[in-house]
Amino acid sequence: MDLQLKGRLVSVIGADQGTQAACRRVLEGEGAVIAAAPSELSYPLADIVIAVGGVRPGSDLLEVSDPDDLYAAWDDMTDAVSAYRAALPRMLENKWGRFVWVGSAQAKSVDAEADELAAMTSLGMLGLNKVITGEVGSNGITANAVLRGGIATDEDVANAVTFLCSEGAAYLSGITITVDGGIGSGIF
Amino acid sequence: MDYGIAGRVAIVSGGSRGIGRAIATTFAHEGAKVVIASRTQSNLEETLAELEEIAPGRVHGIAASMTDPESVKRVVAESRDRFGPISIAISNVIGHVIDAAKEGSGPGAGTFQGMEAESYREEFTQLLVSSWALARECVPDMKDQGWGRICNIGSGVAREPSTHLPHLLPNVVRPPVAGMHRLMAARLASDGITVNNILTGSILTERNRSYWVWLAKERNITVAEATQDMTDRIPLGRFGEPSEMAALVAFLCSDQARMVTGQSIPVGGGGSLHL
Repeated sequence: MDLQLKGRLVSVIGADQGTQAACRRVLEGEGAVIAAAPSELSYPLADIVIAVGGVRPGSDLLEVSDPDDLYAAWDDMTDAVSAYRAALPRMLENKWGRFVWVGSAQAKSVDAEADELAAMTSLGMLGLNKVITGEVGSNGITANAVLRGGIATDEDVANAVTFLCSEGAAYLSGITITVDGGIGSGIF
Repeated sequence: MDYGIAGRVAIVSGGSRGIGRAIATTFAHEGAKVVIASRTQSNLEETLAELEEIAPGRVHGIAASMTDPESVKRVVAESRDRFGPISIAISNVIGHVIDAAKEGSGPGAGTFQGMEAESYREEFTQLLVSSWALARECVPDMKDQGWGRICNIGSGVAREPSTHLPHLLPNVVRPPVAGMHRLMAARLASDGITVNNILTGSILTERNRSYWVWLAKERNITVAEATQDMTDRIPLGRFGEPSEMAALVAFLCSDQARMVTGQSIPVGGGGSLHL
């Protein structure tokens, strides 16, 4: 399948290095061009921005004792907002853009993952994706999320991310693809 | 029906106006000991006088900002000193108002294209950190009693972001708040503590009225037209009353609702679209 990603410029940001590297590798394999050093300089040029949320295995909201830990997780979200906003003008001009968030499947099903801080942050991004879709979706720009759970590998996640960036996913926006090997039992 | 909460200590944040006041009033009628917290001393005194008539000696008010974890700690400690261990915690804090003069005192407005990342953090403090801090301070008392009720007054946009309104901040922060309560519910169920979240729809409060005034100005239509546009989206054909929110909250906090936990329940006259 030609995903029609040849020549698209990609910025991948976030805290989780393994997932970021896998996203770069798979997208590069499809002909996309990866920004060498994702930074404030590269965002305004990006056709595709992928933001990977931090992973805090076993995090428990009731065990958090310092509110700063809540803010640290939330900063993953606001960092993504800054990158997305920087990329938006060019996407609007080109009438084409892709935003993909990689977060925790616990955002949708309590049993899909065990990372409550990541679930919290991801839910903010799911709300944001709906807002972006409503505001700029008619300009060929989509905003989606891949939620990882179970024992998904970085590669599993990167494959779903790459699909959401493809031309075939042009009519998907404000959606989530859960990559959890089927462990989450929530239907919606 | 006897809800079995007579003598229980309940804290209601944002308890001096609107939905919070309606909840505090219902609890007072049910025989609970009620503490209301509010930023504004004058609102607090007025509501306390009203509650005192219903429940003499069973109400207490504290002027405090419930968005600051240190101040939440103080409110919970003072409530405990006054009435005993906390059994019921109602989190009812409004969102960040970016520019009250420009936007009215309604829910945080704004668009993705216009909103700086910093504002997301402020809304997070208002809505999430506040309810996290209240739950966290009250849970030890609830665990000791083997009985507790935590209920958050959230918003319908937690499940269905409102994209027909410039409503970015609630759209982004309400879902995490709902999710946090769902996750807390899973952690606390075995201690006899239930945790639920209300998906508030269109309820007639002073704050909502001021929002419609702002919206009408923004869209260059009359307030009546703005109100009609909102009403047309509600299958029941009318706005809800704060007392209709309080009715569900009181049930969720009752002894009878002990098996209902981890839920986000809309009170919106059938306006929610999610299955």
